[in-house]
Amino acid sequence: MSTHPLVELAQRLVPAHVVSGDVESSDGRLDALRREGLREFVRMGIPTTRHEEWKYTNLFPFIGLDYSYAPVRWSERAASTDARTSMTEVASALGQHISIRIVDGVVEANLTNVPDGVDILELTSDIVENDKDVARTLGSGAPIGSHPFVALNTALLESGIVIRLRKGVQCELPIHLSVETTANASTLIAPRLLIIAEEGAEADIIHSSHTSGGATVLDVTVVEASIAATAHIRYYKIADDSDASRSISSVTADVHRDATFTSHALSIGGRFVRNDLAIRLCEPSSQGFLYGVSLLAQSEYTDNHTVVDHMVPHCHSEELYKGIYDGSSTGVFNGKIYVRPQAQKTTAYQSNHTLLLSSKAQVQAKPQLEIWADDVKCSHGATMGQVDDEAIFYFRSRGIDEATAKALLTYAFVSEVAEKISLEGLRELVMRRIARRLSAESILA
Amino acid sequence: MTPLLQITNLHASIEDREILKGIDLTVNAGEVHAIMGPNGSGKSTLASVLAGREDYSVTEGSVLFNGKELMELSPEERSREGLFLAFQYPVEIPGVSTANFVKTAVNESRKHRGQEPLEPAAFLALMRERMALVEMDPSFLQRSLNEGFSGGEKKRNEIFQMAMLDPVLAVLDETDSGLDIDALRIVASGVNALRRADNATIVITHYQRLLDHIVPDYVHVLWNGRIVKSGDKSLALELEQRGYDWLKQEAAVEA
Ligand SMILES: Nc1ncnc2c1ncn2[C@@H]1O[C@H](COP(=O)(O)OP(=O)(O)OP(=O)(O)O)[C@@H](O)[C@H]1O
Ligand SMILES: [Mg+2]
Repeated sequence: MSTHPLVELAQRLVPAHVVSGDVESSDGRLDALRREGLREFVRMGIPTTRHEEWKYTNLFPFIGLDYSYAPVRWSERAASTDARTSMTEVASALGQHISIRIVDGVVEANLTNVPDGVDILELTSDIVENDKDVARTLGSGAPIGSHPFVALNTALLESGIVIRLRKGVQCELPIHLSVETTANASTLIAPRLLIIAEEGAEADIIHSSHTSGGATVLDVTVVEASIAATAHIRYYKIADDSDASRSISSVTADVHRDATFTSHALSIGGRFVRNDLAIRLCEPSSQGFLYGVSLLAQSEYTDNHTVVDHMVPHCHSEELYKGIYDGSSTGVFNGKIYVRPQAQKTTAYQSNHTLLLSSKAQVQAKPQLEIWADDVKCSHGATMGQVDDEAIFYFRSRGIDEATAKALLTYAFVSEVAEKISLEGLRELVMRRIARRLSAESILA
Repeated sequence: MTPLLQITNLHASIEDREILKGIDLTVNAGEVHAIMGPNGSGKSTLASVLAGREDYSVTEGSVLFNGKELMELSPEERSREGLFLAFQYPVEIPGVSTANFVKTAVNESRKHRGQEPLEPAAFLALMRERMALVEMDPSFLQRSLNEGFSGGEKKRNEIFQMAMLDPVLAVLDETDSGLDIDALRIVASGVNALRRADNATIVITHYQRLLDHIVPDYVHVLWNGRIVKSGDKSLALELEQRGYDWLKQEAAVEA
C-alpha cells in the first residue's frame, strides 16, 4: 500500500535526528514528543469513514492535496483582506482585549496591555526544556495515541503559544489568539496552544482562525488546558473563516477541585470544521460546561465530538449544542459522557437541538452515555425540527416577511445557548451572523 | 367612492375540496359587517384567504382591497397595506417576546409607508397606551408571544396588535370566544375605540352578545361556502332565536 501524501509530508518534515533519536541521545522533551507523534501518525494513518469516530467525516475531498507545511516565517507576507475582515470582525467584537496573532506562522503579540501574572510565551524547545509547568502540560492531555491529527500536530510541533495565568490572577481583558494564514497553494498549519491556569485564576480566551489567498488551508490545531483548583476558564473556539479553510481541532481540559472549564464552540462560518473536545473532571466539585452553536449553509460541515469524563465524585457537567442547518449542509454531534464507578453524586446533562432550514440539510446526532456509578443524575435529549409554517404565517400576516420571520424564529431557537456567551460582543457577533445568513439584517436595527 | 373591500364570486379550495363557493361581499369605509354561520361553513376559510394563507387556492373570482387585487399580494404586503386578521387560534411563538414581535411588525409597516422606525422610548410609550386600551398588563411585553397565555389573554393580545398596526380593514375571527363577560366588554370597547370613518371591521362570531357591544351595520350568514342571507343587525337577533335551520331550508329551496 502506498503511503498517504500527508504521512509522507510528515515523514519528510520531521528531521532524521528526531526520527532516529534514542533516549540516550541529547534530544529533549520536544523531540521526544515529536518522535512519538510521528510514530503514532504513521501507525494510525488517515482515518476513513469506516472508523467509528470518523464515520460522517469525509476528509477525502481535501486530505490528499499536495500540502506544504508553513509553520515558520514566510517571506511573502501579504496579509490579505479576507483574513483581515473576519479577523477584525472577531477582534472588534471583543472590544479591548489582549491580542496574540500568529500571522503566517509568525507570532505577533502586543503584550503592552498584559497584566502582571499573565504569561504569554512562544512555545520553543527552550521553554519546553526549562519551564516545569510547560513540560508537564505539553502532551499530557492531547490524545496522541488515538487521534491521528493530534499525532500529526505533535510530530510537526514547532511553534505554539502558552497562556499561563498565575495564581489568583483575574484577567479582566479577554485574550484573543488569532491564527491568520494566507495561502496561494495548499498549506498545512499545525498551531498548538497550552493553557495553564493556576489556582484561582480566571480568564476568557478566544481562539479563531482566518484564512485567505484562495488555496486550501488545512488547520490541524491542538489545545491543551490544565485548570488548577478554583480556577475558571472560559474558552471560545470560533470558526468564522473563508471557504478555503479545513479545520480539525482537538481541545482537552483537565479540571481540578472546584474549578470550571467552559467551552463555546461557535461555528458561524467555514467550509469544514471538526472539533473534538474532551473535558476530564479529575477532582471533586469540578465542573465542565460545553456549549455550541453551529450555523451552517450551502455545503458546510461542522462536526462536534465531545467527551466529558466524570472521574471522581461530586462533579457537574452541562452540555448544550444548537445547530441551524441550511442549504445542503451537514451537522454532526457526538456526545460521550463517562461516569466512572467511583464518580458517585455526578450530575451530567446533555442536550443537542437542531433546526433544519432546508430539506437538503442533514444532521447526525449521537449521544453516548456510559455510566458505571449508580448514585448519579444524568440526562440527555435531542430534538430536530423545522420552522413552523403556522408561526411563519402568523408573522407574515403582521407584515413581517418570511426571511425576517425565519431569522427571528432562529434567534429564538439559538438564544438559550447564546445567552451563555458571557462576552456581549461575541454574543452579538453570533446574532449578526444569523441575521446575515438569513438575509434579515433589518432585525438588527 | 371605491369600496374598501369588494369580493366578487370568490371560490377557494383546499386539497381539491371546494370550501368557498362563490362569495360576494362589499365593505365600505366606516362600516361594521358581521359574518355568522354554522360551524364548518367557511368563515375562517374566508378570513384566511383574505389574509393570504397559502394552503388555500383561489380558483375563481376577485378581491379588490382599496382598488388593488388582493390575491396578487403576499400576506406581508396585505398587512402593510392595512389588512389585519385577528386569529381564531393565535399561534404561540416561544422565544420571541411580544414587544419584539410588535416592534418588528410596526416598523415593517412604517418602512412600507416610507417612515423612519420609531424611537425606542416613543415606541414603548405607544405600546403601553395601546395595551391600556384592552387592559393588558405591560408585563406581557416581555413574555414570549402568546406562550402560556390564557385563551382570553391571547385574544386581547390580538386586539392589542391591531391597535398597534392601526389597520384599514380588520377581520376579527371569533375574537369573542374564550372571553369572560368583562373581557368581552373590554375587547369590544377597544375595537370600538379604533373605529373611524376611514376604516372598517368584519367580525366573525357565533353570538349576539358581541354584537351588543360592536354594533354591526350589516349581518351576513355564511353557509356551505356561500352567503345565503344578508340583513341589518336585527338578522343576528333573529338567528339567536331561530337558529340556522330555517335558512338552510330556504337556501336549499333556492338552489
Ligand atoms: N386544511 C384543511 N383540510 C381539509 N379541510 C379543511 C381544511 N381547513 C378547513 N377545512 C374544512 O373547511 C370547512 C370550513 O372550515 P372553516 O374553518 O372555514 O369553518 P368555520 O366557518 O370557521 O367554522 P367554525 O365556526 O367552527 O370556526 C370545514 O369543513 C373544514 O373541515
Ligand atoms: Mg372558524
